[in-house]
Amino acid sequence: MICEEYILASTVEEALAALASLRGEGRLIAGGTDLMLQLQRGERSVRCLVDITRIPGIDEIKLEDSYIIIGAATTFAQIERSSLIRQRAPVLAEAASWVGSPQIRNVGTLAGNVVNAQPAADGSIALLTLDAEAEIANLTGRQWVPVASLFVSPGVSRVDASAEMITAFRFRAHGPRESSAFERQARRKALSLPIINVGVRVLLNAEGTHVRDVRICIGPVAPVPFRAQQAEAALRNRAIDEDAITEAVEAAVLESKPRSSLLRAGKEYRRELIRVLTRRALLRAIAAARG
Amino acid sequence: MDTRVIGQSLPRIDAWEKVTGQARYPGDFSMPGMLHAKVVWSEYPHARVRRIDTSKAEALPGVVKVITYRDVPVNEYGINTKDQPVLIAEGDKARWVGDRIAIVVAETEEIAEQARHLVEVDYEPLPVVTDPGEAMKPGAPLVHDERGDTNILHHFRIRKGDIEVGFAQADVIVEGYYITPHVEHAYLQPEAGLGYIDEQGRVTVIAAAQWPHDDLHQIAHMLNLPADQLREIVPAVGGAFGGREDMYIQHLLALCAYVVRRPVKMVFSREESVMRTGKRHPFYLRHRWGATRDGKLTAVEIEGISDAGAYASTSVPVLANATSFFAGPYVIPHAKIDGYTVYTNNAVTMAMRGFGATQPPVAYEQQMDKLAEKLGMDPVELRLKNLLEEGSIAVTGNRMPPGVGIKETLRQAALAAGWREENGHWLKPDLGPPSASHKRRGIGVACAYKNVGYSFGFDDKTTARVELTLEESGAIHHARIRVGASDVGEGVHTALAQIAAEALGVPLNRVEVAPLDTAEVPDAGSSSASRHVYISGNAVLRACQEAKAKLQEVLRAETGERHIEAEYTYCGRSARPTSPYDPETGQCDPHISYGYATQIALVEVDTETGVVDVLKLWAAQDVGQAVNPDMVVGQVGGGVHMGLGYALMEEFIQQEGLVRTRNFAEYQIPTILDMPREIVPIIVEVADPTGPYGAKGVGEMTTLPTAPAILNAIHDATGIWLDRLPATAERVLYHLRKLTPEGKTE
Repeated sequence: MICEEYILASTVEEALAALASLRGEGRLIAGGTDLMLQLQRGERSVRCLVDITRIPGIDEIKLEDSYIIIGAATTFAQIERSSLIRQRAPVLAEAASWVGSPQIRNVGTLAGNVVNAQPAADGSIALLTLDAEAEIANLTGRQWVPVASLFVSPGVSRVDASAEMITAFRFRAHGPRESSAFERQARRKALSLPIINVGVRVLLNAEGTHVRDVRICIGPVAPVPFRAQQAEAALRNRAIDEDAITEAVEAAVLESKPRSSLLRAGKEYRRELIRVLTRRALLRAIAAARG
Repeated sequence: MDTRVIGQSLPRIDAWEKVTGQARYPGDFSMPGMLHAKVVWSEYPHARVRRIDTSKAEALPGVVKVITYRDVPVNEYGINTKDQPVLIAEGDKARWVGDRIAIVVAETEEIAEQARHLVEVDYEPLPVVTDPGEAMKPGAPLVHDERGDTNILHHFRIRKGDIEVGFAQADVIVEGYYITPHVEHAYLQPEAGLGYIDEQGRVTVIAAAQWPHDDLHQIAHMLNLPADQLREIVPAVGGAFGGREDMYIQHLLALCAYVVRRPVKMVFSREESVMRTGKRHPFYLRHRWGATRDGKLTAVEIEGISDAGAYASTSVPVLANATSFFAGPYVIPHAKIDGYTVYTNNAVTMAMRGFGATQPPVAYEQQMDKLAEKLGMDPVELRLKNLLEEGSIAVTGNRMPPGVGIKETLRQAALAAGWREENGHWLKPDLGPPSASHKRRGIGVACAYKNVGYSFGFDDKTTARVELTLEESGAIHHARIRVGASDVGEGVHTALAQIAAEALGVPLNRVEVAPLDTAEVPDAGSSSASRHVYISGNAVLRACQEAKAKLQEVLRAETGERHIEAEYTYCGRSARPTSPYDPETGQCDPHISYGYATQIALVEVDTETGVVDVLKLWAAQDVGQAVNPDMVVGQVGGGVHMGLGYALMEEFIQQEGLVRTRNFAEYQIPTILDMPREIVPIIVEVADPTGPYGAKGVGEMTTLPTAPAILNAIHDATGIWLDRLPATAERVLYHLRKLTPEGKTE
C-alpha cells in the first residue's frame, strides 16, 4: 500500500496543520509524477499524503504589477499554453513544453519539479534563469526566498515537504528589450531526461547593440541547477558580436562540470552540447529581445 | 453479393473487444482461492549456488510454499537444446541474471514480494565472460562446463566457388566491421498469467505464447507428464515479436500449479520483463566484398559472431538463418561465409522480429553503398545489377523460387522517392535545402529479404479444422475455424478468417476463429517466421475447400445434414522441400518461401549535435497478395518503428553481465515524435504461386531495411559510416569530428 490516508486540503493552513499533526510521516502531493514512483520503489515512505491541488487559487497564473505569479500546483500544461508566459517569460514556456509527455504535463507541477531538486529539472533551470522567488509557507508564516537557494544536492531540497510547502513562484515579467530562450537535448524527443538543457535570459540596451544583463543556467553540470556566472560576466555590458558570444559560450563550457553517464552521454559530448545549445539559446534570446 | 474478401481492408475481428477494453489479457485473469507467486532471481551473472535457505521465507505468515529445484520433476528445458535448469540446484551454477533460484507462492502478492527477499542464497561468484570474441578463446571461463572445453555453441559455413578467383576478378574491394546491439522486444504486455488444475485434472496455464502446443511438449518433459494432462490457453496477447517463442513464465505457472494444486497468478514487473528475459542477438560482422568496375559482385568473405548469452534458446537456428542472409539478396559467384554463436554470461538471446535476418542488412547494405561510392555508381542502379531474380542461384546454391519481388520493391520505392531512370541509368533526386544551415540532408536505400516458414529441413506444418453450420436452404450460416495460431496482436486471426471467408464464399462476419486453447484447437506451429498467413493460411484454405466439397455432396444427396467438418494439415515441404546445410560447403535449399522489402529514408543530420531526424520514409513491401491492406500498412508502421529504434537509439546495456537498462526510462524506444514525419507504404504484389491466393508473409520484413536505409542516408548527408548501432547523436557527432579533427564540420 502506498499510504494509509489521503487528505484533500482546502487551504494552505489546513495542509500545514495536517503535516504538523503527522510529525514527519506525511508528505505533500500535487501531480505525484515523481513522488508516486519514489513511493512505489520504496525510496520514500509516508503514512499520509496531503493533496494540495484542490486549494483555491493554487493553480493560477497572474500578472501583478510587473511580476508574474504562478501558483505552486500550476501544471506544465497550463504553463506551456499560457500566453502571458509565452510572451513575457518564454524560457519557462519552452522548458515546460519539454517536460515528460502530454500526460505528465497535464498533472506534473512546477513546485513539484523544484522540490524534487534534480540538477537538470527543466522547470528549475527556467526559474533560475528568471531569478524567480518561491513563497514558502510553514507554521511560522510565509516568506519569499530565491529559488536558487532551495537546492541542496541531487534529489534534496531545502523545502521539507513533510512540514512546509511552496505556495507560489514570482519573477519579473520581461520588459522592453528583454527576452529568454530554452534549449534542450535528450536521447529522444519526449519522455527522456535531458543530456543538457540551457536557459538564457538577456536584457539589451535600447539600441539592441549591447547586453545590459544576462542569465545563463545549465543542467546537469553540477549537483544542483547551475548558473554559469563567468559566462554571464563575459557578456554583461558587451557589444553583441561573434567574439562576445564565443567567449561566453567557452566560459560556460569551462565552468560547467558535466559527468559521464552510461545511459545518457559522455562528458565530452555534454561539453560539446553546452557549447552548441548555449550559443543557440543566446542567439534566439537576443533576436527575440531585439524584436 | 460480392464476397471477395481477400484484398479488402476489413476491420479486424478483434477490434471491438480490444478498443472497448473487453478483451482479456493474461494478467486480467483471476480465480477464487488464487495464490500469488514471485521469482527469486540470481543476483550474479555467473556463480556457484552453494546453499539455498528457504526457512525464513517459509516462516513468514501467508507463505504457502517456496518452490526450489527439489520440486521440479525434470529440472531442464529449452526450445531447441535442453540446457536450461528450471530452477538452479545447489551445487549447480547460475549463468546469467535471468536464472531462477526459487519461486515463492503466497496468499497475497505483497507477502510473496516480501518473502522472496527472505530466501537466503549462498553464492560463490565465478569469473564472468561477456564478450563473445573473448569467450571463443582457449582458456576463457566456461559457461557450460558440461559441454567440454569450448563456449562455441555452433559454427555454420558456406563455401561457394573460390573467393581467391572472385577477389582476383574484382576491380574494387570494400571492407567493414559492424556491431549490432542486444535489443529488447519491448512488448506492451509484460509476462503474466495463471496456472491451475482444470476440472479434468489437467495442469493448465493461461499465458501469452507464440507456440502453446510446443510449450506443452516442454512442460510435459519438465513435469514428466503426458501432454494430454496439460493444457495452455492463450487469450489476447499484448505483443510478442519473438519474445514469447521461448517460455519465460508458462513453465513456471505450470510448475506452481503442479506443486501447490491451487490456482497461482504471476505477473512480472516491467523491470523483470526487461532484465530477466531474452533479447535479440548482438552480431559482430566482418565483411570483405569485391566487385567489377561495371558493378557486378564477384566475391564476399564474411565472418559473423553472435552472442548466444547463457543458454542456447534458438541461437543455432537464428545463426543458421543469419548465415544464409549475411550476403544479402544478391547474386554472388564466390563466397566464404562463417557464422558462429557463442555462450556468454550475458542475457539469453533468441527470436526477435527477423530471426537472424535483421542484423545482416546493417552490414550488407552499408557494404553495397560503400561499393556504389567507390564505383561512382548510383546505389539503386548498383543494387538492380545484383539483386536476385526468379531462378537466380543463391549463395547456398539453391535456385530462387517463383515470386522474387525484390527488384520490384526497389524500383517502386526509388520512383516514389523521386529517382529517375534515364538511358539505363538511375539518378538520385534533388533533396531540397536543409531546414537550417547547420543541418545536412541525405537519402539512403536498403533492400532486404527473409524466409517465410521454417527452414533447413524443419517440417513446417499447420493443422486447421473448419466446422460449418448450414441454414435450412443449405447455405453456410456460420463457419468456425479451429487453428492453434496465436494472434499476438498482428491480426493473424483476421487474416485467416478472411482467407476462410474467401474460400467459403461468405462474408467475413460469418466466420469465427475459435479461442486458442490447446484442448480445443489443433497445433498450428509458432507465430513466427512470418509464416501463419502462408502456412496456416494454406491449411485453412484447404480445410475450407474440403468442407465446401463435402457441402456440395450433402446438397446433392439431400441428406438434410446441418453440420459439416473438415480438417487439413498443410506441410511446407509439400510446396517446397528444404534441406539442412551441408556441413562443409553449406550448400542446401534453405527456405520454403521468401518476403522482400526495400526502404528509402530521407534524413536531416544536425552537424553540430549529431541529432538525426528521419523526415520521410518510403517502405515497399512485397507481400505476394495483401490479404488485408490496412493490416499490411500497420505492419509497415510497426516495422519502421522498431527499425528506427534499432538505428538510432535502442541498446540493451549490460556491464559484466549486470543489466544497466532496467526499464523503459532507461531502455528507450522511439516515441511518436521520433518517428518519420511521413511514412509512404507501398504494397507490392508479386505472387508466390504456392501461397494462399499468392500471399507471402509480411510481419518481419517490414523492419529489416529500416536501419540500413537510415545509416546510408546519414552517410549520404555527412560522409560518415556508422559501423556500430545505435547511431546515437553522440556517436554521429564523434564520427563527424573524426572526419574533421579540428572540431569544425564546415
